[in-house]
Amino acid sequence: MNRFTRRELAVTLSASAVLLGSLEGQTPAPAPPVNPQVSPDDELKAARAQLRDNADQLDKVPLSMAAEPATTFRP
Amino acid sequence: MSSISDDIFFASIAEINQKLTKSEFSAVELARAFCDRLETIGPRYNALALSLRKGALRDAKEVDGDIKRERLRGHLQGIPFGAKDLLAYAKHPTTWGAQPYAGQVFDYTASVLKRIQKRGGLLTGKLAMVELAGGPSYRYASASLTGPGLNPWDSTRWSGGSSSGSAIAVAAGLVTYALGSETSGSILTPSAFCGVTGLRPTYGLVPRHGAMALSWTLDKIGPICRSAEDCGLVLEAIAGAEFEDPSSARKSFYYTPQFARDLKDVRVGFAPVDFNEAVDPAARADYAKALETIRSLGVKVVEAKLPEFPYGAVIGTIISAEGSAVFEEMIQSGKVDQLADQHQIAGLKAGLEISANDYLKAMRIRALIQEAFRDLLSTTDVLIAPTRFDPAPKITQPLDRRAVDRPAPATPGLAALIPAGNLAGLPALSIPCGFANGMPMGLQLVGSPFSENMLLAIGKTFQDRTDWHKRRPPLATP
Repeated sequence: MNRFTRRELAVTLSASAVLLGSLEGQTPAPAPPVNPQVSPDDELKAARAQLRDNADQLDKVPLSMAAEPATTFRP
Repeated sequence: MSSISDDIFFASIAEINQKLTKSEFSAVELARAFCDRLETIGPRYNALALSLRKGALRDAKEVDGDIKRERLRGHLQGIPFGAKDLLAYAKHPTTWGAQPYAGQVFDYTASVLKRIQKRGGLLTGKLAMVELAGGPSYRYASASLTGPGLNPWDSTRWSGGSSSGSAIAVAAGLVTYALGSETSGSILTPSAFCGVTGLRPTYGLVPRHGAMALSWTLDKIGPICRSAEDCGLVLEAIAGAEFEDPSSARKSFYYTPQFARDLKDVRVGFAPVDFNEAVDPAARADYAKALETIRSLGVKVVEAKLPEFPYGAVIGTIISAEGSAVFEEMIQSGKVDQLADQHQIAGLKAGLEISANDYLKAMRIRALIQEAFRDLLSTTDVLIAPTRFDPAPKITQPLDRRAVDRPAPATPGLAALIPAGNLAGLPALSIPCGFANGMPMGLQLVGSPFSENMLLAIGKTFQDRTDWHKRRPPLATP
């Protein structure tokens, strides 16, 4: 990755400039809604709680020793 | 003077290819017209990540030379297409829709793009996407470097994701077809919301070399088109063994509708509750007609139900564990905080804490799911259900909360078909089948591994008898 000659880099950067130019008419992206009641810490706690809930659901599925992980994905 | 009419922007691959070979217009004229449209209309819907006009016109010139010399390279020759911005295109920015990767440039091109370009396809643009293909889990449609994907049918509503730009561009006639990717729903959902036809191939059928990874054991690349037939033509070009993709099933695909199984021998399973109670009431009449059309194809329609598993918990654990492992460096470096969606930032951070035991448990249950689906699909060839039970939500609506207040049905029907089908590695086709208050709705067909030809045959026959896939959104003129 990123093995470029100076000329190639210049072409790439000009492509980026074209991109910026072409997106001038873009619909302004509204800022992602932020709930002031929910801090990043609260979000992280909620994400962890979701994963715990997932784990609890997995625990309810009976698994015999013969149930090996699905490591072969060529159905 | 260009002879590109508006109808060409919504024409099928075969129709355009025929006009090119008959010299009704040149590939250069066609590419220029599509590039103009993509650059003008694409940004209005936040669909465009990067215009590739220069390369497309250069390639179009070569195609014109080839056609003149009668060097014909198949249906995709000279046809403009777009690619989700998670596919590497050498020496051009590939952002994965995410701020931390906004300046990323690869020196190689994704296998699927090389395969299409070898057949003379014209890549006119990289298309917008949900940041990092949505892994692991975003709350708002605005979770994208290019802003929320706006639905061409109603720009106050979301396009669906994560292949947002791909579905928008096809629906709005900005490209003839596009490539998207699906880990769990990212082709089917935007296809249904935007009223186009999307195909999620069997896991391993289409090479992923050069594509962003979100979940190594779930990711698939597939076409988003205006018809099942176009999906078949694109799949034929992109499928096949790939040395550089360790997940490759090493199988080819040839689109052969003429050799499709007699539909009279096909058993189609459905859950009445999906169509009578679960789906948006405004769309039920159209779904009832869609079921009648399916019956009229001559197939045997039977009732079916999904094997009971906690599909959401299984796929959530796998995507979180694999996705956070994929992006560990970005998360640990703190760059993850540059993402647009707080919910997603937290999800990626938390995913690093999943225990090996929980991940293995999910993968062990997944093996049981695969086995259960092998049993189910040995007696029922195809499962059908509404792709999504509600139309596209408003762009400001939180996606992790149900927007409607109608009661959930007493039985789940096939509501979990998207995560279940992805966990089992099954192919799926979403076809437009009606509207709910002016917004498109889709019907998904799911079959056994490598049964794409059968799904496409049913989809094509359905589309021969209906015109939902030919409807066009009320676009603002360029």
